[in-house]
Amino acid sequence: MSGHLWENLRISFSSILANKSRSILSVLGIVIGVLSVTLMGTMISGLDATFERSMSSFRSNVLFVSRMDWFGGDWDWWEFRNRPRIKEEYGEKLRVQSQFVEAVAPATERSGRIIRKDRQIDTRFFGTTPEYLATNDAIEIAQGRFFTEGENRSGSRVLVIGADIKDALFDNQDAIGQYVKIGNHKFRVIGVSGKMGKFMGLFSLDNQAIIPFGTFKRLFTRRGWMNIRLKVDGDRIEEAKEEIRGHMRVIRGLKPTEDDNFALNHSSTFEAQYRAIKLAIGGTGIFITALSLIVGGIGIMNIMFVSVKERTREIGVRKALGATQRTILAQFLMEAITICFLGGLFGMGVAYGLSTIINRFFPSVMPIGLALGAIFLSVMIGIISGLIPSSRAAKLDPIEALRYE
Amino acid sequence: MSILIKLKGIKRYYDVGGEVVRALDGVDVAIDHNEYISIMGPSGSGKSTLMNMIGCLDSPTAGTYEFEGELVHDMDDNQLASIRNRKIGFVFQTFNLLSKATALRNVEVPLIYANIPRSDRIERAAESLEAVGLGDRMHHKPNELSGGQRQRVAIARALANKPSIVLADEPTGNLDSKSGVEIMKIFDDLHGRGNTIILVTHEEYIAEHADRTIHIFDGKVKEDIANHNNRREPVPT
Ligand SMILES: Nc1ncnc2c1ncn2[C@@H]1O[C@H](COP(=O)(O)OP(=O)(O)OP(=O)(O)O)[C@@H](O)[C@H]1O
Ligand SMILES: [Mg+2]
Repeated sequence: MSGHLWENLRISFSSILANKSRSILSVLGIVIGVLSVTLMGTMISGLDATFERSMSSFRSNVLFVSRMDWFGGDWDWWEFRNRPRIKEEYGEKLRVQSQFVEAVAPATERSGRIIRKDRQIDTRFFGTTPEYLATNDAIEIAQGRFFTEGENRSGSRVLVIGADIKDALFDNQDAIGQYVKIGNHKFRVIGVSGKMGKFMGLFSLDNQAIIPFGTFKRLFTRRGWMNIRLKVDGDRIEEAKEEIRGHMRVIRGLKPTEDDNFALNHSSTFEAQYRAIKLAIGGTGIFITALSLIVGGIGIMNIMFVSVKERTREIGVRKALGATQRTILAQFLMEAITICFLGGLFGMGVAYGLSTIINRFFPSVMPIGLALGAIFLSVMIGIISGLIPSSRAAKLDPIEALRYE
Repeated sequence: MSILIKLKGIKRYYDVGGEVVRALDGVDVAIDHNEYISIMGPSGSGKSTLMNMIGCLDSPTAGTYEFEGELVHDMDDNQLASIRNRKIGFVFQTFNLLSKATALRNVEVPLIYANIPRSDRIERAAESLEAVGLGDRMHHKPNELSGGQRQRVAIARALANKPSIVLADEPTGNLDSKSGVEIMKIFDDLHGRGNTIILVTHEEYIAEHADRTIHIFDGKVKEDIANHNNRREPVPT
């Protein structure tokens, strides 16, 4: 532009301050535009972080043999009802037959209440085998130990509790060796798992207890759903899936014409689902942003036309005193840019405030790069929408402008 | 040295609803350095149009204008702006100050366009205001000043860049006679220091300050005479 940058900035600020409410109204579109794109980014970053953490417990090298698909799309309820249950023995068969399976752990689950003296907590507990540790990279035993194969076989009443349960029942006391009750059954706490956070921000992975599979079978007759965790070679998931599917079909005795009556789930189905959600949020955000920025640009153009009209005489005076067309153009462009920049900054400020609130519910960070990009975009909109009014100001005939009433 | 201002056959026609208004209809005027000129004539005769032409704010429908030997017609926007900024100081009948800016800021405007650094600028603007006796009103806005004071701010602004030519279109037209006399003292003083002064007036006693009076009538020069009975007193220093 020109050496009058600071001067023009000064003129812009005083002009904006002289017409506060008008400026605020005109810049609303820009504010909302920047706000929505920044919030969208915050949301996605939060989802990403949550998803990453959640996914680690479903490591991409784990396949789940289940009764149904996690994200099936078109479940046929009757077909599903008639599917045979998943049996524990499948795991052992697959371990022998498949060249991909490295570790096997059946897991079955139910919800219930754990009681200790006058305290209690509603939780989920599930039964599995000691090999479970090999099929879950996220879990870590912070205190005590996991149960042994012997304890599993004999149906020992021992359990490993999550960090939340430990906090709820024991505060700061040592939980190891203490007794708790599930229903009428007394269990001895032998381990506490480390904090894992929430799964997709939905339920806490720390509010769950693990008991030996053998114990689970003996105590809880109701046959809940079961799935079998298979740890396989992470680089050959698709191959493994195909091979295991073949074995499962044999195990189930399916004819070639029959459909699978079981499901092989993998974290990639979560990822696909997650990508779809992310795309939806991103798409909506970008749509709202684009719309409000267009509206914002029109608002700015309008206000700039008004500003030029109001200051026609001033433009004439400035020209008489030696302002070039370029200087006048720069002055009004600067005003449009300043309004948009301040609007963008304000939008980012509000977005920051909101993101700290969002952060309390699920961990997220405002992506600064995106916010700065949004402000840059608002400046560009300032330039584009300010260009026509500013060049009209620059081209004003000095005499006409001076005669303007 | 060449003649300062040379207008030859200058015409300025306006087309108002199909009817041609001949604001200037063939004006020939030559003005030299350090002349003190008054322009007189009835309302609507074309005085302001002529002043705007001289001040490079307007361009003629026909005719040629040479400023310091150069054809104004051939100049681009930057050159014209530069002449208006550095060589010519404008004083308007209606002051035309920026209403939201202080006296000092108003006087700074031409210095800004001359790319004078900020500290020099403020110093020079303040000096210029002091020269017109407004050293104690620098931070007042126009609506806090009297008419005479406003016109003095406008003069300080016109003089800020030390132009050699001062153009004043009825500078005392909106002032009482006492303020008018004060303003005329400033112009006399400027002329005494070597500036070229051209002013439009309706008042005979104002016109008499000048050495030469150009009478305009219907867009033409009717009379261009030297004032022999110049009653001006020497400028006190
Ligand atoms: N922009 C314009 N459009 C149309 N006609 C104009 C325009 N500017 C000036 N005129 C006409 O040109 C003529 C000369 O105007 P000008 O302003 O030069 O007169 P003046 O001598 O300064 O009068 P006054 O003493 O009242 O200020 C007038 O008839 C006026 O109506
Ligand atoms: Mg006039």
